[in-house]
Amino acid sequence: MAQVGALILVLGALGFLVSQAGDNLRARSIPTGFDFIEQPPGIQVGEGIQTRDFETGGRALWVGMVNTLRIASAGIVAATVLGVIVGLARLSHNWIVQKVSSVFVETLRNIPLLVQIIFIFTVFTTLGNVSLDSGPIHGWLHISNKGLSVPRVFGLNGSFQWLAFMAIGALVARWAHHHQVRKQEETGQLGYPIVAAGGVLSVFGIVGWFAHPVMGFLGPVFGLIADALDGLPEETLQLILAVLSIVVAILWIRRFLKSMSSGGGRAKLTDDDWFRMIFAFAGSVLVAFAVLVVWPGLSSWLLNSGRDFFQLLDDRFGSGNGGRPFDGKRPDIVKPGNFANYGPAGLTLTPFFAAVFFGVVLYTAAFIGEIVRGGILAVPKGQTEAASAIGLKRSQALRHIILPQAFRIVLPPLGNQYLNLTKNTSLAIAVGYADVVQVGQTIYNQTGRTLPVMAIWMLFYLACSLTISVVVNFFNVRLKLVER
Amino acid sequence: MSDAASASVRDLSGATNMIECEGVSKWYGDFQALNSVSATIKEQEVVVVLGPSGSGKSTWIRCINKLEHHQEGRIVVDGVELTNDLRNIEKIRSEVGMVFQQFNLFPHLTVLDNITLAPIWVRKKPRGEAESAARALLDRVGIPEQADKYPGQLSGGQQQRVAIARALAMEPRVMLFDEPTSALDPEMIKEVLDVMKGLARSGMTMIVVTHEMGFAREVADRIIFMEDGMIVEVGTPEHFFTNPTEDRTKLFLSQIL
Repeated sequence: MAQVGALILVLGALGFLVSQAGDNLRARSIPTGFDFIEQPPGIQVGEGIQTRDFETGGRALWVGMVNTLRIASAGIVAATVLGVIVGLARLSHNWIVQKVSSVFVETLRNIPLLVQIIFIFTVFTTLGNVSLDSGPIHGWLHISNKGLSVPRVFGLNGSFQWLAFMAIGALVARWAHHHQVRKQEETGQLGYPIVAAGGVLSVFGIVGWFAHPVMGFLGPVFGLIADALDGLPEETLQLILAVLSIVVAILWIRRFLKSMSSGGGRAKLTDDDWFRMIFAFAGSVLVAFAVLVVWPGLSSWLLNSGRDFFQLLDDRFGSGNGGRPFDGKRPDIVKPGNFANYGPAGLTLTPFFAAVFFGVVLYTAAFIGEIVRGGILAVPKGQTEAASAIGLKRSQALRHIILPQAFRIVLPPLGNQYLNLTKNTSLAIAVGYADVVQVGQTIYNQTGRTLPVMAIWMLFYLACSLTISVVVNFFNVRLKLVER
Repeated sequence: MSDAASASVRDLSGATNMIECEGVSKWYGDFQALNSVSATIKEQEVVVVLGPSGSGKSTWIRCINKLEHHQEGRIVVDGVELTNDLRNIEKIRSEVGMVFQQFNLFPHLTVLDNITLAPIWVRKKPRGEAESAARALLDRVGIPEQADKYPGQLSGGQQQRVAIARALAMEPRVMLFDEPTSALDPEMIKEVLDVMKGLARSGMTMIVVTHEMGFAREVADRIIFMEDGMIVEVGTPEHFFTNPTEDRTKLFLSQIL
């Protein structure tokens, strides 16, 4: 009873605050609508998949989100690799390696990230202007106040055929790897699984470079699929989807029941188990109903996009002419007006991107290094002793005993660092990198929609954080040590 | 001819020397943990090491497979001298099995994987062979049904028996036991001691650091009493428990019996 009272009290207070806020916003005529998402924003952004002439504000925000995700995802990979190296280096017995890594960690984690980002950006702005003969490796690598540009590799017409060739190569390599491992386990002779798999892959890569047109037969096959999808009536797909949904639910329930029964017989089902099964079946019926009656547009959309996809594959596979599948281009310099800049040929990191990217990567790598070091040290000393006592070499002990256990210890704090890295990319505002915050700020300066833009920011970062948490938790649960 | 009055005292005078220690000394900083320990353990002999805590018992047997480094003296195991040469250390470690007070099983591996890890990676045995050997060992220590469980799912006594099986899987010529029952609940001590008694009867050379006086009396060929890093007294269990010569031994026995 007291709890219900408290709930009513809290809800009442919340409602009062919300209505007060609404009154005040209206009184000061602060707009709160989301209409700017649909209207042309009339802004430009620094870089991204599109930089000007946006049709809607939503599109401009999306460009900012892609820029944020680009830095966050590349940053997570780079920071993990660098952090693991630093962490292992701090445990090294080599004096120089150990000292260098200690200095790396202590310097980077004790300077605010904002200062580091501005520092890296400043370093770029003090570099020379772009010119044709600038850069440490003439014509190949340019570093200037316009950023860093390296040669780009891109696919030509034959690249799809080559990739299909490599997919077969990967299957064969997998089989070779498996075969070598089996041989090692059955005969005790040392196998070479990695060497065998790598060899198979490189043979396929080289042969495929010349022989990739043989995969051209896939083009007509995809064309046939596209035609079949084109000829399929919408009602048939609706029926297929509905039946599929119910069949999947029934299969899941059967598997669930099987997992609940042990050798002796079926375990007693709890209310929760019954609820799960009923929920699964009801859900599937609901899906079937939606597909058939409520939302027929879904089926036609699926049909159309499926047809377009296979049509595209047909075109790509048909257009090979036996030339090399990939090519590279060196960075080029263009001079549209008074100022030279990098052209589209090279792969260019702008100073804005580079400052934020290297800032968050170095900063986070320092913390990840400490986490890795701590994780390895946290594996009890008895584990190392037991491994030595049964005759394992130090490298074997590390691989089979220490690292698998250290990984389990490291995973949750590592997830925290990934969250931090993602959120820290918002410091991009300091150097004007066009991330979601910077684009959003430009939009609300134009439209005055401060609160809606902030709501979008929060939802976006929330979605990023939840995604990372879900992934980390998945591995955390899977790798958990089994105990009573 | 030796008389057969006592069944537990075996005649080992003809056996070869398995472990020889000569003047082994070790310091932790200024503290001297071992003070010129000399002892010879013959093949198939079961030696129990007694002494108050901090007397250097554990340090000594940990020196025998080089988990600790001694600074002076010689240790020879089965004809191979322990030096800093890595190949020697690996050879000796694969011939000397060790059982720890805290079991030190690998918690992320199943019982079966715990046992087969070293045979597969050190002895290069085929997995199938290693697994059937491991199952036979689990049978020997009395827990064949636990093969696919994880260490965290077993009781302390079962874990220690898995640890013994893991050490035996390398087919060692010597087994070292570092207080194997000290971390166990009283009702689980017996199951571990029974396994160790069986091992002793099968002719395994064993050095056992323990506080189990009953086990020492029943199984030991010889008892070594240590204090302050030195060997104070050596003798048969009968001599040791009924007629000790040294005052410090008498004091120790009066405190624990």
